Amino acid sequence: MTEPLLSIRNLKTHFHTDEGTVRAVDGVSLDVDRGETVCVVGESGSGKTVTAESITRLIPEPPGEIVDGTVRFDGEDVTAMSEKQLEALRGGRIGHIFQNPQGALNPVYTVGWQIREAIQLHDKKAKDKEARERAIDLLDRVGIPDATSRIDDYPHEFSGGMKQRIVIAMALASNPDLLIADEPTTALDVTIQMQILRLLNQVQEEFNTGIVMITHDLGVVAEVADRVVVMYAGKVMEEGDVYEIFENPSHPYTRALLECLPGRGEKMSAIGGSLPSTTSPPDGCRFHPRCPYAVGDCEIGEQPPMYAVDDGDHAVSCVHFEPGADPSVVLGEDGSDAVGGARADGGDETGGDAR
Amino acid sequence: MKWYIARRLAWTVVATFIILSLTFGLMAASPDPQAASYVAQQVQEGGDFEEAQESYERARGLDQPLWERYKNYMIGMVTLDWGWSETRSQPVTEAILEAWPYSVMYATPALIISTVLGVAIGLYSATHRNSLEDYAASAFAFFGISIPDFWFGILMILIFGVWLGWIPIYYHSDVPWFSLQNVQQLIAPTLVVTLSSIASEMRFSRATALEYVNAEFVKTAKAKGADSWRRVTRHIFRPALVPLSTILVGDILNIVLVSSYLVEVVFGIPGLGQLSYKAIIQQDVALVLATVLIPTFIAIVGNLFQDLAYTVLDPRISYGER
Amino acid sequence: MMGGEDYRDRFEDIDWDDMQRSGLDSLTTQTAGFLASLGVVALLLVYDYVVVANDGPTFTTPFEWDVTQLDWLLVVTLLTVVFFAVYPLYDNPRMSRRYWREFRKNRAAVVSGVFLVGIFGLGLVGPLFIAKPDLNVLAQYQPPVFLSVPESTVGTCVGPVSDGMCHGTWQYPLGTTGQGKGIMKSVIYGMRVSLEVGLITPLIIIIIGTAVGTVAAYSGGIVDELLMRYVDIQLTFPTFFLYLLLLYLYGGTLFLLIVIFGITSWGSTARLVRSEALQRREEEYIQAAQSAGASEFWVIRKHLVPNVSNTVITNASLLIPSLILFEAAFSFLGLGDPTVPSWGQVISAGRSDIDTAWWISTIPGVFLFTTVLALNFVGDALRDALDPRAED
Ligand SMILES: Nc1ncnc2c1ncn2[C@@H]1O[C@H](COP(=O)(O)OP(=O)(O)O)[C@@H](O)[C@H]1O
Ligand SMILES: [Mg+2]
Repeated sequence: MTEPLLSIRNLKTHFHTDEGTVRAVDGVSLDVDRGETVCVVGESGSGKTVTAESITRLIPEPPGEIVDGTVRFDGEDVTAMSEKQLEALRGGRIGHIFQNPQGALNPVYTVGWQIREAIQLHDKKAKDKEARERAIDLLDRVGIPDATSRIDDYPHEFSGGMKQRIVIAMALASNPDLLIADEPTTALDVTIQMQILRLLNQVQEEFNTGIVMITHDLGVVAEVADRVVVMYAGKVMEEGDVYEIFENPSHPYTRALLECLPGRGEKMSAIGGSLPSTTSPPDGCRFHPRCPYAVGDCEIGEQPPMYAVDDGDHAVSCVHFEPGADPSVVLGEDGSDAVGGARADGGDETGGDAR
Repeated sequence: MKWYIARRLAWTVVATFIILSLTFGLMAASPDPQAASYVAQQVQEGGDFEEAQESYERARGLDQPLWERYKNYMIGMVTLDWGWSETRSQPVTEAILEAWPYSVMYATPALIISTVLGVAIGLYSATHRNSLEDYAASAFAFFGISIPDFWFGILMILIFGVWLGWIPIYYHSDVPWFSLQNVQQLIAPTLVVTLSSIASEMRFSRATALEYVNAEFVKTAKAKGADSWRRVTRHIFRPALVPLSTILVGDILNIVLVSSYLVEVVFGIPGLGQLSYKAIIQQDVALVLATVLIPTFIAIVGNLFQDLAYTVLDPRISYGER
Repeated sequence: MMGGEDYRDRFEDIDWDDMQRSGLDSLTTQTAGFLASLGVVALLLVYDYVVVANDGPTFTTPFEWDVTQLDWLLVVTLLTVVFFAVYPLYDNPRMSRRYWREFRKNRAAVVSGVFLVGIFGLGLVGPLFIAKPDLNVLAQYQPPVFLSVPESTVGTCVGPVSDGMCHGTWQYPLGTTGQGKGIMKSVIYGMRVSLEVGLITPLIIIIIGTAVGTVAAYSGGIVDELLMRYVDIQLTFPTFFLYLLLLYLYGGTLFLLIVIFGITSWGSTARLVRSEALQRREEEYIQAAQSAGASEFWVIRKHLVPNVSNTVITNASLLIPSLILFEAAFSFLGLGDPTVPSWGQVISAGRSDIDTAWWISTIPGVFLFTTVLALNFVGDALRDALDPRAED
């Protein structure tokens, strides 16, 4: 296959704070193709947002700094781009959707103004009138009823779900090749969540957009993902096809995450312990202090490399999957489904009941 | 919204009425320093105490019943008949008309400079938090809010007037208004007034803008491709203008009124401040009252504008409550 | 991060008094101590007014001290500060340490704090030992020690004269005014004035503001409306000009100046307390207390007053520098107390001699400026330490 749309290699984003250097993202790699949805999952604080915001360098610098790694978008190295080039990329070819629609819109401008801004920043030729027409179209497309009259309303006159649609409309303003959605449904009601996910799905089908979807909601993953990247404490623990991840979760952390999913295995058997310190993370595997299968090897050296689990691209960063080691320590005797009742819903839209 | 503005206007009128009435009550209930000095003077010149008191009261209309006096006072206030200045032998309004251009001459530039620069520096500090420039600006602001205006004015006179001889030690009112010489002698007072207001503006606009620097909608704007200038001016400054408008009109006006009062006394500028000061020293009650009420009216009108600015600037305001 | 902090970590958490358990026996040491000392002060007051001859000094040993109205007020204020600010800090070392940790982060504020302790300590005890500076035509315009001016500008030179230059002496370390008053003494008396203005006025403001704010919030309706509209009016009147008018009409003594400042400046405090009270009132623990049959008054004392204390303390600490500046400005304008030497008064005295005797106006100004600067630094740090919202 040709080069993927987005290719992140060994990304390290650190924050220099009074308390020390926060290694929020510490060597993350992931690829996204056109038309593909990659979900990044992991508990809160594991570095998902920082990863997403490093792609177009949205993180505040200082205190943030991309200390290592490359981000290639459509063949170009984003980390080497000038501010001007980045501005063209942001909102032009890469659209962003944020977690909290309440805060994502500027309260003192009409939504029309804000969508027009998104259009005109990348299409300097667009006159106000034309931009307004396009903004109405966009609002229409994201499902705002009566777009023509609502375009001059202020954000506070819309509900949360509507606001998120408006944010999506802004992100779509220049028909981006890649959408980065950072927990786009976390702040919304369950019914609204479904609608927003469907909307994103439609957009993807229509424009063959690549989507990076950040979430800690495995129900959402089951809903939309093609592939899944599991993050923990700034590192990738496991990645693979969504079917593989649900059917055959291999990293102990992934398995623990899946067990937390209601309706599956133990009832919310919350993972004991908490995230390690981000300023001085433990040696070896970042998860070993909480891992029930940790052995001596887990506590020394670097995070284990990504070992292939099978012939596909399912890979896991766990010493038990090193060639020659015995994965059944983690997977259980039959080597398959230890979690029980796992069901991968893939992109199936009716699978929302997994939640 | 129209209803809100109408109510706000009505409240301004009511507040003015109440303040005028309270002031009348206060003056009526207080010993009149001017009467005391007049009577003392008459007695010293061999006059009769009672007689002197009566003649004073007659002259000032104090022998009338209270209600009558209140009515006359209020009518006088509204019709701009603010009484007679004994010490200047002219109507109070005339004295004020002569004085105000001198105050406006330096207070206006000070107000404009401090607002523009203060807000700009505050925004810069907020967006470059913890930078060297930010620390320098903060130190400067602390200096500015802490230094007493009148003392700073004296220092200016000492350093630039007495020691260096760059500026005159006293204001010369015979100099034409539009002349280089007048500009030269107004530089120091303008600087003093500017310093005291710019410091407050810097602090307040920095604090306000800080609340927006990390706002999510600013990140949204960045994600849309807005450059940093656009983010600061459109996405930080504009929303910050809503809370800022409350200080820009109200508090800064107040600071300028106070510091110009003191500055005029220090530099000898024959504006409203010095008029008031002299009236106090010379026991000219009518003039004291008028020169206190003028800044009060300015403040009332400032408050009104501030609230109206709010309705224009903030689309979220609800008009239900006053 | 702060969420898990232990109980009694802030002023807010202090159980100011456990009156509910009723009876004098359960009065806390704090309240008891405060009331007892107030009693002693009251007795002394009676003694001063009934027994001591009208113009005689109240005490003659260990030093002569004729306690004035203002002194009484200052003593009461200091007692309040000791029992309601210092004592709780002493009683809750954990809380004190926490505040200290926050406060210490700001170096400028720590230095300022030390400076202020010096200035106000000197202002508190200095006037007890040092006589007021007096007129002395034989010591006009003496320059500060180590400095010299042409003899012709001085009149009679107290210090050594050489080459026609008059040198300063240790007798007048900071020089003298045109009336021959020692500036050093005036400056020390000025410290007392600033201390009184900066301590008593905020106390008056806090008391009235808190009372009005809580009453407005709890009674609601017409009372609330009237009180708040009055506050609106008070706040519309520009402070400086309101003071100016009142001082012109009633001024002349420092006591009245402080009272006037106090009773006309509580508007913003009342507003703050009211809005905080309205918020807190909704909170469940108060509802719980109410349903448990507690009286409104008890709820206010027990829950509300402690809860707004941080807001009120911060607000007051930010008021202090401007109050001191106002006092100086009015003394400068000649509306202060002519019998009490203050910084503004000396600055004013030296104004007409600025070209020959520059030190008269500048020296007290330096004290005024540095004191206000230090107060601003401390106020800022105090706000950061006390205000949980300002955490980042
Ligand atoms: N601006 C910042 N300064 C310092 N640390 C930060 C900053 N932004 C994020 N972090 C840290 O980076 C880590 C990862 O955060 P984040 O990516 O937001 O997690 P997630 O999105 O997975 O919940 C956290 O420990 C967080 O404290
Ligand atoms: Mg996140």
